Amino acid sequence: MKKYFQHTFLKTSLLVVGCLPMVTSCEKEIMEPVRNSYVPISVDANAGTWKTYLPTAAEITVPAPKATSSPEYLAELANVKQLSASLTKEQQEKVAYWGAGAVYRWNEIGRELSAKYNLPPASNAEGKYPLPDAANPLADPKFPFANPPYTARALAYLSVAQYDALVLTWKHKYAYKRQAPSEVDGSIKALLPVSGIPAYPSEDAVVAASSFVILKAMFPGEVPFLEQKLKEHQDARLWAGMNVASDLKAGVDLGNAVAAQVMNRARTDGMSASNNQALTPGMIKLAKNLGVKTPWMSQETPARPPMLPNYGAVQTWNFDKSTLVKIRPALPHLEGSAEFEKDLNELRSIQKNQTREQARIANYWADGVGSYTPPGHWLRTAANVAHEAKYSEVRMARTLALVGTSLMDAGIGCWDAKFYYYTPRPQQFGLKTSVGLPNFPSYTSGHSTFSSAAATVLGYLFPQQAKRFDELALEASNSRVYGLIHYRVDCEMGLKHGKVIGEYAIARGKADGSNL
Amino acid sequence: MRRKLIGCLVLLVVVLYGNVARAQMPHDAIYMPKKQICLAGMYGHSRWNQYWEGSLKRENFNLGTHTTQSVMLMPAIGITDRLNVILAVPYVWTRTSAGNLLGQEGFQDFSGWLKYKVLDFRGLSLHGVVGGSIPMGNYVPDFLPMSIGMQAKTATGRLIVNYTHPATGLYLNGHGSYSWRSKIRVDRDAYQAHDRVYNTNEVGVPNAIDMGVRLGVLKPKWQLEAFTERFSCVDGDYIRRNDMPFPTNKMEMTTAGLYGKIQPKQLGLNARVGRVLEGRNAGQSWSYTVGVLYQFNYLKK
Repeated sequence: MKKYFQHTFLKTSLLVVGCLPMVTSCEKEIMEPVRNSYVPISVDANAGTWKTYLPTAAEITVPAPKATSSPEYLAELANVKQLSASLTKEQQEKVAYWGAGAVYRWNEIGRELSAKYNLPPASNAEGKYPLPDAANPLADPKFPFANPPYTARALAYLSVAQYDALVLTWKHKYAYKRQAPSEVDGSIKALLPVSGIPAYPSEDAVVAASSFVILKAMFPGEVPFLEQKLKEHQDARLWAGMNVASDLKAGVDLGNAVAAQVMNRARTDGMSASNNQALTPGMIKLAKNLGVKTPWMSQETPARPPMLPNYGAVQTWNFDKSTLVKIRPALPHLEGSAEFEKDLNELRSIQKNQTREQARIANYWADGVGSYTPPGHWLRTAANVAHEAKYSEVRMARTLALVGTSLMDAGIGCWDAKFYYYTPRPQQFGLKTSVGLPNFPSYTSGHSTFSSAAATVLGYLFPQQAKRFDELALEASNSRVYGLIHYRVDCEMGLKHGKVIGEYAIARGKADGSNL
Repeated sequence: MRRKLIGCLVLLVVVLYGNVARAQMPHDAIYMPKKQICLAGMYGHSRWNQYWEGSLKRENFNLGTHTTQSVMLMPAIGITDRLNVILAVPYVWTRTSAGNLLGQEGFQDFSGWLKYKVLDFRGLSLHGVVGGSIPMGNYVPDFLPMSIGMQAKTATGRLIVNYTHPATGLYLNGHGSYSWRSKIRVDRDAYQAHDRVYNTNEVGVPNAIDMGVRLGVLKPKWQLEAFTERFSCVDGDYIRRNDMPFPTNKMEMTTAGLYGKIQPKQLGLNARVGRVLEGRNAGQSWSYTVGVLYQFNYLKK
């Protein structure tokens, strides 16, 4: 991490717009890495032919733009010239912020909202846990409880909407080939690197609008915040001299249209039934038939219903239902077996002599309450790596969509296994924890499955770094043993399962027409 | 992940503000004579089963009663009759009566103080104190409320005003201090605070003010006082609904209690009991401390 910090700090920006390396908090300056803008390594001119996730999205059209010689365009150009002529420091900072990348920033916003809403409801006076209410999102408990399955799904839809919308953006950009304002009029000084990618429709507006639609649905209490970001992002493009108003308008229309289709899938993917608690008695019965002696029980007081017991039935992205069952991990070691005792004894021994390094690893990967969860952690890694590789917006979106859908698939596959086997947590045998205990069955480890799926996909996308990703996934997996909340077998089988799930995303990536 | 615990704590203040005896303390107007050392060995115990989650007073069935215990070695050294050095080495351990959070233990923060009598006029005296603390070990600072401390280095400046009625030994004492607390590093590289995500492992721990007023009697062989103390961070964020505490929290506490000491000769005993009456982002603790005092010459005559 240290290297990463130095790298980002020492690297001089491609352009000199005000950067914001520090944020003042409680009068103490906290240094955070800075992300700058760049000229992409490739314009990905053929990205308009890449395969979208939603087949129907490909049919959405964008009206032809006015010619750059038309009076309407010239009026827009004059407006940009005027707006960009003298910027306040704050406007320059906004330009630099959004200049880091549209997909990059909206993914970061998605992760930030996930962290903000990742709080389990408190029990009430009757000893019940009230359900968050989407119609009243800011009441206590807030909607949503952005736990790992929820966050995996929210961020997957975000990336899919961005990707599908950007594929169509590229299709129409290279069909119409309308140049950027600074290329049309040399007196406009663009504040961000101009890459030669046609400006109509604006990729920034497309990403902003499609992200807005998804995040508004996923975090309905944040509409004013999101509206402000949507407006600021578009304004920043005018201030920077990067787009004229009609570039943005066409982008917003396209982003809205694609995101509406993506939301149609989201509304019917089975998430609304994911918290069906009526299913758990049948699940427990089935698990007992498989030989599970002590089924999982909530270790909280009062007992909290398990997290989204039917999330395993949510629609997957990169494989179908029958595959989900086929790749389900095998029955774990059963209570009373020598293997089970061995795993339990490993935990007892760590509890007695947990090293500081084990605690560090457990804490680093905990990604618990108040965090953006393991899916957010891995999308952050993916976004940073793609940023360092200077990917175009569309290639960045492809990267995050492959990783993001794989993370959601991992969540679904893992939850399917968890509630199929319904195995007890080590705390049901007297163990404590140094990271906090998740409120759902043990086998398999979610962290292991998420991490292995993401690392596998990232290894395909960035082969030179594949070894590092595998090491990170293994460390994330081990962290759950060090934190005393998973048996070794949960982690090992989760890693294997995640790898298989990641391979399905890779198969999709290989067949999407990008030849990447 | 689903840490169901939640809560808040008093640990950080164990050394500086809470739990310890008041024999030649950084707070009081008592001095070791030149060449004398008073060595205090103390045991502290602090517990709460309710806490303020932000401003909401609540209990937590997944913590039950949270207990912090400590043992501390604390020498007060007379450099001159009006300049003392006070040092403290605490060992701290935590546990809860319910839930499954692993208790933490270890050497917490070493602290050192210089106390100087600036003025002394007919029983009215003014004292200046400077102090600082540094963590003695690499304990985990953000596994709250189980962590034994927050890993911040601190520097504190304090003024004490004291009036002792010469004939009766009745005294009235007030102090105020400001503590600068360093940024810390946590094991994770992103965290939620101040209503946003910080993408770094660096965390700002808020600075703090503490004040106290005490009224008591000081006799050559014994001392008894009633006190009230106020600790508050100068800024910071509130614990969110059903969230865990974090080192950025704006902790506030008002405590009232009694303190007594008996030291007929070289050997003495002291005891303190305190109760948090009001707070924010902190546990409503009962705490007590008992100590053994031993005074001796450190330079042979």
